[in-house]
Amino acid sequence: MYHINKILALALIVLLTGCSIGGEKKIKIFSLEKPREKLDYPMPTALQLEELKWIIITSENAQEVFKKLEEAGIDPVLFGITDKDYQVLARNFAQIRQKLQETNNLLEEYKKYYEPEEKK
Amino acid sequence: MFGSIRLIFTVLIISGIAGAGMYVMKLRADNATLKANQIQLETAITEQNKVLEQQKEDFTAILESNKKLNVLINTFKKDLADLDKRFTKKNRDIGKLAIERTEAIERIINKGGKNAARCIELASGAEHTEAELKATLKSEINPECPALANPSYVPHQ
Repeated sequence: MYHINKILALALIVLLTGCSIGGEKKIKIFSLEKPREKLDYPMPTALQLEELKWIIITSENAQEVFKKLEEAGIDPVLFGITDKDYQVLARNFAQIRQKLQETNNLLEEYKKYYEPEEKK
Repeated sequence: MFGSIRLIFTVLIISGIAGAGMYVMKLRADNATLKANQIQLETAITEQNKVLEQQKEDFTAILESNKKLNVLINTFKKDLADLDKRFTKKNRDIGKLAIERTEAIERIINKGGKNAARCIELASGAEHTEAELKATLKSEINPECPALANPSYVPHQ
């Protein structure tokens, strides 16, 4: 009877501690960095400007100029600016061109910095 | 009496052996933890070095980009100054010149307009022509924007 009690006690201990042998498996969590998708816009299409013709009109050649226009079938009317305004116009166009160039350049630099070509 | 002493000794020996075993197991567990920590630290150092290297590359790229933009802005200033100079060089009065030499000035202005339009096309991203790229002489360049239109042209100082 004494031995049976001992065996029972031992069995009970094994039964109670059996589940803890080996234990639960640990969960492993992996984190993978996914880079942000590239915007990848194409660069803006280049401008193709149409040619225009400047006509210089003075008090001396005015009649001749209008006559030539009529002969060529063009309405004898001119939209004029003074020599000083012509200089202003030239300067304004130069500034617009520079701003365009600057903006395009900035765009290229940003693209190069944030979306570099993949190294092969 | 003798039986009790033997039992105590047996229990002590078994406890000692069990304790030693547990201590060894603890040492092995500690060792494994330290090894894992070492690997983690080495990985962290490698990653930090990579980050530092990348930062260094980024700073170089930013400096280079700034330098390029500064050069561009200086070129703009020079181009505008050159344009002003063309109108006012040696007390030039373009209005008087146009009265005196109407046809010649008309030709010059139309050529200038065409060149300026080409400059705008190039600024908007148009491809250079071969002639524009090869131009090295003053007579071959687009005087409205030589730095933009003719990269091979080096003006005399």
